[in-house]
Amino acid sequence: MGSRSAEGEQVPLTDEYDALISTTDVELLKRAWRNEKAAPEILRFESDLIIRVREQIELMEETVEEKSTVGTDPLSVSLYQMDLDRTLFLLRSYLRIRIQKIEKYMFHIRKTEELWNRLSKDEKFFTERCTDDLKKHLEESVLSTLPENYQSYERQSVISEEVDMVPEPRLDTFVLCRSKEYLTGIQLEDGPVDDRSKLFEMEPDVLYFICYKSIKPLVESGKIDLL
Amino acid sequence: MASYYDIDDILVEEEIVSVIFQKAASGVGIDPSSETDFIEAGSKVELPFWLAHELQLRQAVSVNVPPCFNQKTRLEIQADCACVDLRSRCPYFYEFGCKIAPIVGDRTIGFLLLSAFKNRYKEVLTKAHTATIAVGSKFWTILTKEEINLYETAQSAMASFKKWRMGGARFQIASILGRKRKPTE
Amino acid sequence: MAGQSDHELSLFSAEELEFIAEDEIVDIVPNLKMDPLCLISGDFGPFTPQIVTQVPLWLAIALKKRGKCSICPPQWMTVEKLTQVLEVERDSQEMSEHLPFHYVEISRLLFDHARDNIPDAYMVRSLIEDIRDVRFHKVETDLEGFNGRTIAVKIKNLSAMEVNIVRPFIGRALQAFYKHDSSELIPDPERAPDRRPQVAHNAPRRQLRR
Repeated sequence: MGSRSAEGEQVPLTDEYDALISTTDVELLKRAWRNEKAAPEILRFESDLIIRVREQIELMEETVEEKSTVGTDPLSVSLYQMDLDRTLFLLRSYLRIRIQKIEKYMFHIRKTEELWNRLSKDEKFFTERCTDDLKKHLEESVLSTLPENYQSYERQSVISEEVDMVPEPRLDTFVLCRSKEYLTGIQLEDGPVDDRSKLFEMEPDVLYFICYKSIKPLVESGKIDLL
Repeated sequence: MASYYDIDDILVEEEIVSVIFQKAASGVGIDPSSETDFIEAGSKVELPFWLAHELQLRQAVSVNVPPCFNQKTRLEIQADCACVDLRSRCPYFYEFGCKIAPIVGDRTIGFLLLSAFKNRYKEVLTKAHTATIAVGSKFWTILTKEEINLYETAQSAMASFKKWRMGGARFQIASILGRKRKPTE
Repeated sequence: MAGQSDHELSLFSAEELEFIAEDEIVDIVPNLKMDPLCLISGDFGPFTPQIVTQVPLWLAIALKKRGKCSICPPQWMTVEKLTQVLEVERDSQEMSEHLPFHYVEISRLLFDHARDNIPDAYMVRSLIEDIRDVRFHKVETDLEGFNGRTIAVKIKNLSAMEVNIVRPFIGRALQAFYKHDSSELIPDPERAPDRRPQVAHNAPRRQLRR
């Protein structure tokens, strides 16, 4: 999906297709960035989008380089540069947020297949190295000096029933979100069994504060945006 | 569990509770006031929560309701919730209550926490976003850690908004040729 | 609160919000001639003197700073319209929907960089401040309605910056209520059977679904 000029032809289009091509990659990146920032857990890596954005950035960098050597007026060169900087900011911030989340929850991510599959190749490499380093550090500095039953970095003791030392993201935080369409039948997590009182609906373009757990699948499928 | 490394959680578990030993215990120097290392069954000892919890799981002790949830406090909360100095009773009033309730089997603690929080929340709300430091400072001293967190969250959100509003350019937009990097957040 | 997730990760700073707002499209009147710009964010131009063109706000400001254009203040940013909005806001507990989502950020950017393009700038600015104050007080009033059974909160017609200011507070408060009103702490039979999701920011309050 390149810039708008590529899609200038007159072709009869369905609404969806129309919406699709009128959304630039920058818009998509902005959306991915906002979602990632607002979500308590790490989301799926938008690898296709990132590849395209990277290509466009490289292309633009070459263009700017070329224009400035050729002697195009400095004003338009600086405007191109600004646009480039803005896109770079989004890209970097997106990647940075993900890294921060990985750093916070690295053991948990490494162990949980669903989360592990959401990382990019580079991020996986980073996580592996991080977890190995941290594990080594904990073992060498503290754990190896403890009595044998307490040497794990995951469980407090050999008799712990569950893995109780690994920080996990809290999925029950409340997040601000918005839906593009009218959504019904959202199940709000709330303990006891009364189904009727738990179903919830969302009007389009209205902001809601909801427990993240309840809308997790909808965020993943792209129906809800986080703010 | 998310809270192993969480400092607040660690501190909550340091709160003292009084327990009654169901069995005799020897070889432990828990009670500094006793002369021997031996604790008789039925004796009352003060322990930090984390220890009491573990012992209770092994049915070695039974845990009493801590003084911060006693009748006196309850009456005060019912009377004038917003002015009760919860912090001096227990800075982790709510968190501690949550942990202790299932252990002592007291089903009314939950209600107490909820109604206390509900009422005090209103006070926090009205002061949080707008009050200056001077007005807020006295109020501050009676808040528990959790309430303070709430309060400070709002204050700092407001403060950063105001700062943004005052300020001029947020950072330099690259207007000079050859300057490839925009200072990022 | 013990174990609560780190809110700092998910906070948007005011500057970031401003960044997002800068992509909003505004009208400008250029005073130069320039070829179309084929940017990553889209294509804009060509620029011809005295012909109104649409560009994103950041681009408009960049041109304005170099004296290459003047920015047309958006329709809602006039003394008449804003006075109307202020009255509407004062009269009702609901938020009016006449202001765009990014009105706070857009107005601040325009005041900083294009004040001379705004007629009665001082008046406009003070009207906007008043509107913001009134709206904020409404927000505070609505927030009082929170209780343990608030599972979802509907926010109608709040602007980006306004929502962002209260967002951390609301998030934490909801979290605290959620935690304290859980079924572990409060045994079922004694619980008030009021499990409907509460709605705020939209007087009169109504249940979303029985």
